[in-house]
Amino acid sequence: MVDRVTVTLILNGERRRFEVPPGRRLLDLLRDDAGLTGTKEGCGAGECGACTVLLDGVPVTSCLVLAASADGREVVTVEGLGSGALHPFQEALVARGGVQCGFCTPGVAVTGAAALARGATGAERVRLLAGNLCRCTGYAKILAALDDAAEGTTDAPA
Amino acid sequence: MPRRDSGARRKAVRSDHGPRTTDHGPLGGCHERPDARAKVAGSTRYVADLALPGMLHAAAAVSPTAAARLVALDTAAARAVAGVVAVLTAADIPGANLVGVIFPDQPLLVADRVRMVGDRLAVVAARSPEAAWRAAALVEATLEPLPAVHDPVAALAAGAARVHDGGNLVKAFRVARGDTRRARADVVVEAVYHVGGQEHAYLEPQGCLAIPEGRTRITIVASCQCPFYVQQAVARVLGLPLAAVRVEQAPTGGGFGGKEDYPSEPAACAAVLAFATGRPVRFVLPRELDMQGSTKRHAMVIRHRWGASRDGRLRFAEVDTVLDAGAYAGISTVVGERANVSAIGPYHVPNVLVTTRVAYTDNLFGGAFRGFGAPQVTWAAEATIDRLARAVGLDPLEFRRRNVLDDRRRRTCTGQLLPRPVLARACLDRAAELAGWDEFHARERAAGPEREGLGIGLALYGCNLHHGGQHLDRSSAVVIVQADGSVVVRVGLTEIGQGNLTACQTIAAQALGVDPAVVQVWQPDTTTVADSGPTVASRGAHASGMAILDAVRRLRARLDPVAAELLGCRPDQVVLANGRAAIAGEPGRSVEVAAVAAEMAARRIEAAATGWYRSRPRRFDAESGLGAPYESYAVACHVAKVHVDAELGLIRVAEVAAAHDVGRVIHRGALEGQIEGGVVQGVGWGTTERLALERGRLANPSFTDYLIPTAADAPKVTIAVLEGAPSGGPFGAKGIGEPSLIPAAAAVRNAVVAALGVEIDTLPLTPPTVVAALGDAHPFAWVAEEENEDARSAAAPASR
Repeated sequence: MVDRVTVTLILNGERRRFEVPPGRRLLDLLRDDAGLTGTKEGCGAGECGACTVLLDGVPVTSCLVLAASADGREVVTVEGLGSGALHPFQEALVARGGVQCGFCTPGVAVTGAAALARGATGAERVRLLAGNLCRCTGYAKILAALDDAAEGTTDAPA
Repeated sequence: MPRRDSGARRKAVRSDHGPRTTDHGPLGGCHERPDARAKVAGSTRYVADLALPGMLHAAAAVSPTAAARLVALDTAAARAVAGVVAVLTAADIPGANLVGVIFPDQPLLVADRVRMVGDRLAVVAARSPEAAWRAAALVEATLEPLPAVHDPVAALAAGAARVHDGGNLVKAFRVARGDTRRARADVVVEAVYHVGGQEHAYLEPQGCLAIPEGRTRITIVASCQCPFYVQQAVARVLGLPLAAVRVEQAPTGGGFGGKEDYPSEPAACAAVLAFATGRPVRFVLPRELDMQGSTKRHAMVIRHRWGASRDGRLRFAEVDTVLDAGAYAGISTVVGERANVSAIGPYHVPNVLVTTRVAYTDNLFGGAFRGFGAPQVTWAAEATIDRLARAVGLDPLEFRRRNVLDDRRRRTCTGQLLPRPVLARACLDRAAELAGWDEFHARERAAGPEREGLGIGLALYGCNLHHGGQHLDRSSAVVIVQADGSVVVRVGLTEIGQGNLTACQTIAAQALGVDPAVVQVWQPDTTTVADSGPTVASRGAHASGMAILDAVRRLRARLDPVAAELLGCRPDQVVLANGRAAIAGEPGRSVEVAAVAAEMAARRIEAAATGWYRSRPRRFDAESGLGAPYESYAVACHVAKVHVDAELGLIRVAEVAAAHDVGRVIHRGALEGQIEGGVVQGVGWGTTERLALERGRLANPSFTDYLIPTAADAPKVTIAVLEGAPSGGPFGAKGIGEPSLIPAAAAVRNAVVAALGVEIDTLPLTPPTVVAALGDAHPFAWVAEEENEDARSAAAPASR
């Protein structure tokens, strides 16, 4: 049995190589090996969405992804959502006050950014965000922020 | 001998309006939350994000059964796991093996008897979390089953299995006013309500990091609401003085009461392991264990007998409540105390008899949860109010109008006189208006399987701590003006998502007349502020805000003379506003507050002050339940609109209109956030959040099986804010954390009952509960009847 596997990722736009045990979760690789602790573990079972990251642009719960299976793929975490500045949805979350305890927020930010990237409409946005549990806000300000960001994106000059 | 404070006591509740400022300031506005940017960027460091060189990871071996004698504990296999550094049992605890907050009934590690599933038998420290949990699973306990009791009412009956040697009745409370037996009523309603518990489901699991300094002192960084509780618990298990235990609150990913009393347990475990190994120990609970072992909202059985006159006036109310405390008392008696005096709601009832008993069982133990006993009794009271309205043929809104407390009838069930204005009627009317009550009832509705209903929940919330806990109702603040004019604020109450940093920042900025952006409020640390009691009872903004105002007052005794000198006026003429010190009545002459700060620094004048707050003493007789349990009250009214599928029993809560008596808005965004979040958490409790307990074991300890509302389930929340009723709080503000949740589930229940036309007396309103309540009224009742018939005939021969 091999005790280490090599995993190469395009992590937040940067090519990174990791040597990890074969059973390592992508979540642990990100938090412990890459030092990106913005991605949170809320349940470890793919239920709460706090560990959501983008894998080749698709939101996934990183607690259910084996790090080795992400080899050669592109991963974006909350730290890499905006390029240098905050992503428009992150800015909208701040402006709307869609942040309370903040523990679900990184996952919410990642899912919301993905929803915007794929041009999801109102009901679709709600459905996509239904995979990210939040116990504090009641979701109103999160959804309002997503709408704001979507409008901002639409209005932005090309 | 005349009492010196008797005059002050007679006065109505006064609010602290803070020092004089001329500008409108940030109060009531909606500036950016100070913690939002770091949180959206993912750079806020929670406990699980902290690591130190040499740090070990903790795990716990827990009991799989609810009631047993611990015969033997074999830790050899656990010790043999690679990476394991220590496996500790009860005998290894250096101080007291005790974590009970009020009653000394709960050990940190079981020494002889298991009383609930999840009781800790041993704790492990290892180099990785995986090794620690693998080792914990290998701890072998020989358990000899004991008789168990899981029903709180049965637990109080003669001959029930005893959970503790002293019997199962932890404590009893009552309120007795008038004479309910002799009261005359035209209609009498009797009902028994079974109100279920609730899991907090904060997104961040419980966790802490213990950092020892030899065996002399220790620092604990913890996800918690109450650092001072953690400090006391750790000091006790280590046998250290309080001053040798420093507890720093880590950014905390939600609490809702679940991080009031419980965090003392993981912290005590980590502390014991840290002392034993001499290394930092981090203990983060996996979700399943967190749900299985931590406290829950109390399940209650509530028996009602209420009477009204034909014209719809409440004549008497009898309430008999039994709380399921679970295996340990924890803070259940305090929850019982609040449930007891909250049982009648904001109604004028001349004859009241409330009895509230707290019972031990072998179930998971109950603890603090947003609302603290009030949501359960409110749910029952509002159900009975609707029943009575139907019995006398009145609209539920009109029935409430006839009985609600107002400026003329303003005595609560304990006989406490509310100060004017009493906003119960105003909240009721505003919520009904927002929900379109009259328009809804003017429309005809078809009686198909898709039903619609509107329901009201009305609650009276006692602000801050009950009389029984008033010794804890104090708080400390430190305000430091830096040489550059920026301001450091330290308070003893915690930010757990509810917005206490935002509230404290707003209050300090308002009082100092500066921009909120220059004020930094830092998380509490037990070495920087005095014991400020717990962050509970919606008291955060109130208690920390009042202490901040006191600190600012003391600070200005030194700041104002410096400003006066720079301005060439008397100190009492100095006003602070818009970031400047000015002369009252002469807005033309002013100097920046930052310049005053620089001058204080240059002259070596102390630019720091501490502040203190304590609630007013009040009189309450615990024996009769009469008097003033709370300093002030807040009213909350929710009106829910639901859609019910009468075939499947599925409920969709479409909208909740929420009207709240808040005293004064401190920060609009944070206030709305509390209301929206509280409503949705209350709706979840009332509809889908069922704790599936099987012989004391939680059968659904996951988010797949325990359903909290998602973005797709959350109702639209509309809000009406009513200001102006007195509070005793900073700038006249009242707490909002708990009132935002309390009436929500009751409103939903009443809406569903209105939609279906059958009573439902069990919470939550899961589809099976709704279908069962429909009984013969269910569209397919005949199918169930045939199935039952088949089952009966099939079972009959086998049973012989």
